Amino acid sequence: MQAHSKKRVCYYYDSDIGNYYYGQGHPMKPHRIRMTHNLLLNYGLYRKMEIYRPHKATAEEMTKFHSDEYVRFLRSIRPDNMSDYNKQMQRFNVGEDCPVFDGLYEFCQLSAGGSVAAAVKLNKQASEICINWGGGLHHAKKSEASGFCYVNDIVLGILELLKYHQRVLYIDIDVHHGDGVEEAFYTTDRVMTVSFHKYGEYFPGTGDLRDIGAGKGKYYAVNIPLRDGMDDESYESIFVPIISKVMETFQPSAVVLQCGADSLTGDRLGCFNLTVRGHGKCVEFVKKYGMPFLMVGGGGYTIRNVSRCWTYETSVALGTDIANELPYNDYFEYFGPDFKLHISPSNMANQNTPEYLEKIKTRLFENLRMLPHAPGVQVQAIPEDAVREESDDEEKGNPDERLTQASLDKRIVPDNEFSDSEDEGEGGRRDQRSFKGRKRPRLDTKTPGESNDEKAKGDGDGTKSEGKTEEKDEKVASSDDAKKDAAPNP
Amino acid sequence: MKFKIWCTASQNYGCMMVVFGLVSYGIMVLAERNPDNVRNGKRSRGPSPNGHASEDSSIEEEADERIRVGRDYQATVPDLIPAQDRKAELTTAQDRALLVWCPTVEIPDSKVDDFISLAKERYGYNGEQALGMLFWHKHDLERAILDLSNFTPFPDEWTVEDKVLFEQAFQFHGKSFHRIRQMLPDKSIASLVKYYYSWKKTRTRISLMDRNARKLASHREDGSEAGSEVGSNSDSETEEKKWTIHRGIRRKSGSPPRTTQLEETGSMKKDGDSSGKGSCSNCSVACSQTISTPKGAMCATCHAHWTRTGVVRPTMGPAKPRDRQVHLLRNKRKPPRGMFVNHDDLTRMASGPAGQGEQMLRSMDREIVSLKRQVQSNKQAISAMRTRTSCGIDDYRPSDSSNRINARWSNDEMLLAVQGIRKYGKDFQAISEMIGTKTEVHLRNFFTNHRRRFNLDAVLQEFESENGPIIENEPKDEKMDVDVEPSSPAINSSPLTVQTSINNVKTIHKTAVSATK
Repeated sequence: MQAHSKKRVCYYYDSDIGNYYYGQGHPMKPHRIRMTHNLLLNYGLYRKMEIYRPHKATAEEMTKFHSDEYVRFLRSIRPDNMSDYNKQMQRFNVGEDCPVFDGLYEFCQLSAGGSVAAAVKLNKQASEICINWGGGLHHAKKSEASGFCYVNDIVLGILELLKYHQRVLYIDIDVHHGDGVEEAFYTTDRVMTVSFHKYGEYFPGTGDLRDIGAGKGKYYAVNIPLRDGMDDESYESIFVPIISKVMETFQPSAVVLQCGADSLTGDRLGCFNLTVRGHGKCVEFVKKYGMPFLMVGGGGYTIRNVSRCWTYETSVALGTDIANELPYNDYFEYFGPDFKLHISPSNMANQNTPEYLEKIKTRLFENLRMLPHAPGVQVQAIPEDAVREESDDEEKGNPDERLTQASLDKRIVPDNEFSDSEDEGEGGRRDQRSFKGRKRPRLDTKTPGESNDEKAKGDGDGTKSEGKTEEKDEKVASSDDAKKDAAPNP
Repeated sequence: MKFKIWCTASQNYGCMMVVFGLVSYGIMVLAERNPDNVRNGKRSRGPSPNGHASEDSSIEEEADERIRVGRDYQATVPDLIPAQDRKAELTTAQDRALLVWCPTVEIPDSKVDDFISLAKERYGYNGEQALGMLFWHKHDLERAILDLSNFTPFPDEWTVEDKVLFEQAFQFHGKSFHRIRQMLPDKSIASLVKYYYSWKKTRTRISLMDRNARKLASHREDGSEAGSEVGSNSDSETEEKKWTIHRGIRRKSGSPPRTTQLEETGSMKKDGDSSGKGSCSNCSVACSQTISTPKGAMCATCHAHWTRTGVVRPTMGPAKPRDRQVHLLRNKRKPPRGMFVNHDDLTRMASGPAGQGEQMLRSMDREIVSLKRQVQSNKQAISAMRTRTSCGIDDYRPSDSSNRINARWSNDEMLLAVQGIRKYGKDFQAISEMIGTKTEVHLRNFFTNHRRRFNLDAVLQEFESENGPIIENEPKDEKMDVDVEPSSPAINSSPLTVQTSINNVKTIHKTAVSATK
């Protein structure tokens, strides 16, 4: 292995990952990772990176974050013994959105193994950028599966990074709120979580502008609630200033970026209108800071666009231009009819007005001003490994900017001050429960050929037009994009 | 049977190759593969009892939609390892991920490409396996090439029977791989999923013709075994279902439907009432009298063919669609637009030994793939060139022409000039643009001065033999060719006369102006 003058990029991939299958009709398709991989190979990007096959994370590694019980459960649950675990399945929220499928635990092991190995790699300073498209499962909680995520590889990766980095920044550009990661680090000032997401009647329901962290971690959770139809321009107009400000005030020494591709236009579950280029700009921007950088996957349910996006972002990480014409690859027919890398936005309306975005920005800037500069600094602890970013130096040379306690106090506002914020324009803060059955991806547990007895429990939206034929079933599905079926249940 | 390698002596080697799915040829010991196999074994459990919705699944997730705070929710943040302790940590924490490729600057890209295509074409590797081999030999290209033949990729474990079974199972069960597995018990779910994804967009899956063929085949079976009515109904239903399912189409109302969908629904609609229309459902010829058969209404010719052979009459050549309806119908029954089925080919395929047709198709598929590959890489090359030339082609001119024009001739320039004459004849302007450091006048002088020395007349003759005589093409050139063509005084004088006449005009004009004053 020789040293490279360019940024060294390490890429983690296991060829088995595409073979896991969540279940019929389930929108999460690990196959997209294999499609991405195949594109990388045929674009000739593969040979420009160090390619690793990740180890399988052990239960011990997972319990660095997750509870022992939960990991034990994940380890033992299988489609054929589900009936023995009824109670636990309910408790750990497995079975509905997060079905039990064949090889579930291995899937978690590979996804987590990749992110942990990548973090170790960054710690060793053996690489500047690490990529694990199999990771990014940001909804998983300490003792609970959620939103297609079982094991939170991001949290595990960040915990690894925290051994060597005083402060780690987590950025989430998935269309869904990165609640699992936010929750895991809600009370610490060593990890700042920044999530850009659709908010309002949308899974997982968290991520309000006013959720800013708690205890020591107050002001270390940053939430950017957005509306439908975010386009490239608006996204950049909010992403760039906020991330710049965060970098300036928080001064992390490592960054984790969750590149969920469901914020792309035309996503099966998402409702934003980003193109691959706009999505990739975020990567480009973060990369510019030149600090240890972990990129992970995440959501993304229109798989041809997911693989386009992640392929492009890999090329951005490598700093290599790639042609807009896709090379021939194993899954070439998926990319018809144009067979191009880049996609065009749809004509959907952007409900995020510049004023709205401006307002959010102002509020968040106010919060960020509450941060003591360079929190929790221990002099000897400033890692010497990071490539120094300009803003870092700037800040240190400018101690005067530090606010006095008095002025800090002056700025503290009660949490409820934002209660009539823009995001409630549509009828005040919703009862969280009221939208549960709607946008929230729901499981229709009916499998083909099964009896219709479940019709009875249909809750209006998900199952209301459950027909007799499969054909109808599919039509229902197309009208309710979030609906899923299958997931065998005892 | 081929042995999967697992050799203690060269454990890493075997491991490496297994990672890439390569099998050694006859060296090494037979044993279990590596943990992967064990895992596959573990994975292949029986299908789950597919129950229906139990009560508990209807209970909403109780997770409060708030970020929760407490020991049960937050991660325990590890302490920062002080700088002085890190060394030890680093040495203990080794890479547990397996490095399978790292980039190299020693081998130029083109060589790697060549290597990959060799491995692909000659030995059936895929790109990843080929690079894995190269990496294993520490980027030693020659040794890697030599070693290529010692391994082959795992053979395709899918036999033709498996594939047929899979398609059948898929028609019944859709994407319930557990159920499909009941029909293919020796396949793991993983292998089914993998095959499904590579199959779903292949020719046999999406080609209208193949679908039609399958449909007809199943019709035939139905006809001989059970009531054809029932058969055809259920068949078209699964067909429809299969289509929507496999595409994963859950389109929102705003997005445009795919054309194939249109065709699908159009032809489905058409199916119902086609018999009464007085056109043949097979060859779409409009006819006064149709004979209704289990395969739809047929014209007399098609019907005769069908009763005689039991096979629907193959049609050839493009029949002009009379109207849109017919066109939609045709889409179902006929090859896509621009594609013609040759009768002879069909007979050859059908009459040859078993499997011959399949083989022909497969080789055509391969050809298509390689052509597509070519098309895409050509497209990439074109677009790369376009972007490069989009901001002007000045960079690509040989050195900066305007600045460095001088009259001295270097050897290279003389060579270029001769070549230019060979290529452009006496179009000196073109030649001067090509050389870049000489003006047209320079070239003219060059031509006269060196005419004999470089035997330029012979060169010109060569040019003329290819491009026709020069004089006719370039009368203008000849006119201005003052010193080059002393042999043609008439032409020679003409510019002079023109010049004098212009002067005359000017003086006349001046006098006229002054006169009016």
